Amino acid sequence: MNVDLLSDEAQAQLERWSKKSRALFAELLEDAGSDLQRELLQRAVAAGHTPKEVHAFADELRGMDDDDVFGACTLNENAPQDYTVAQLLRAEADPLYAFELNGHQLDPGEEDEPPPPGPTPPAPEERVHTVALDPISSGLSRKKKEPAAFDAESSDGRGRKMDWQDLGRSPAPPAPPRPVSGSAPAVAPAGAKYIEDLATEATRALGVTWREYELDLPGTLTLEDALAQAAGPVGRGIPVPVAIGPAPGASRRFVLLLQLSTSGKSRAWQLYDPFSSELAWAHEGDLLARVELPFAAKIHRRLTRIAIPTSRSASF
Amino acid sequence: MAPPKSQASAPFASRELNGEVLVEELVDLRNAQIQARHLTDCVLALRDLEGTRVSEAASRLKQLASNRFSGQPALASLLVRWSAKLKTEHDVPLLVGHLERLALASALVAAVRRGSDRLPKGGR
Repeated sequence: MNVDLLSDEAQAQLERWSKKSRALFAELLEDAGSDLQRELLQRAVAAGHTPKEVHAFADELRGMDDDDVFGACTLNENAPQDYTVAQLLRAEADPLYAFELNGHQLDPGEEDEPPPPGPTPPAPEERVHTVALDPISSGLSRKKKEPAAFDAESSDGRGRKMDWQDLGRSPAPPAPPRPVSGSAPAVAPAGAKYIEDLATEATRALGVTWREYELDLPGTLTLEDALAQAAGPVGRGIPVPVAIGPAPGASRRFVLLLQLSTSGKSRAWQLYDPFSSELAWAHEGDLLARVELPFAAKIHRRLTRIAIPTSRSASF
Repeated sequence: MAPPKSQASAPFASRELNGEVLVEELVDLRNAQIQARHLTDCVLALRDLEGTRVSEAASRLKQLASNRFSGQPALASLLVRWSAKLKTEHDVPLLVGHLERLALASALVAAVRRGSDRLPKGGR
């Protein structure tokens, strides 16, 4: 669903959000599992929920099928909870409210931005209104870039079965604190983690968990060590998330190390950037030079973070 | 001419099987609203496919496509297409590995997108 196709109520609320929050909402719509989920997300926005609440709501819905989503976001007026008419009316317009009334809990965390100046939104009890249904469109368009060629002889990983028992040992620096909420600095707070929990949640069913490390800062992994750690998993077919950016500690986006190819003593890594849809090979020496990556956005000069798989599940 | 029985057939011998081909499939499945959990379910259902004969593996893939994933036509179509490409016994584990990587990559792309939004000045 393109944000341009949202209801007037949702658009009006979105205009009160920061640019970053609006971009996040567009991503949430893109990643939603169905049109029903997209519709419910825009209704949650129209009902005046904060970006964090909508984000947490989207995360909860994403893993559910449509029947479960519908059940979780709809009040049964014959249910023993004996809802009031006001609750039933509000729940019709506000699926997040219904979701919580049905006993589900959201953990939106702290707000990361102050509310923008403007009129105070009405109290929740006053926000009973109907949201017009809008046409749905996937809004997905991807540009495909021809990948750069790498004239290697063979791929280490090709043809090898993934062996979850053989992920190798991970380095174990001291456990860092969780990411810090608040105004966004240009450089990540020391020890912050951004993808470890997301990747672990995403691949838990496949028996893979992750540990995230910053690169090339005092007390962290060097890029050389990181690539050595990643070579085993990538060679066995486990893509490895890495962050890229202009300088150590200045991560701007995550991409994936998708494949590893060895030719004699030289190695090359295939990187995939899902934001730009770029897929490119880079010689390891070029990565270690830390001056340029094989992507169009040349501001991202080096790898700045890495998540290395750690778990070994026998269930797969 | 069919490849020798000791070799993987061409689609499975390509270096880009788990690169360019995988990314194209990833984008197609995403555009078709196929979720990572569908791919995970698919991989888990195929985990014992290795070691089976080509004909049996192809039959299992088609069966999975027409039954369990009939509601996800893009994924069902992918399985049917790959089943038709199985030619030698070496192809079967390569296809299983490919589908495993596809499932992992699909799950990780979602994590990468969300994680990038968390980065200071990150996301795009």
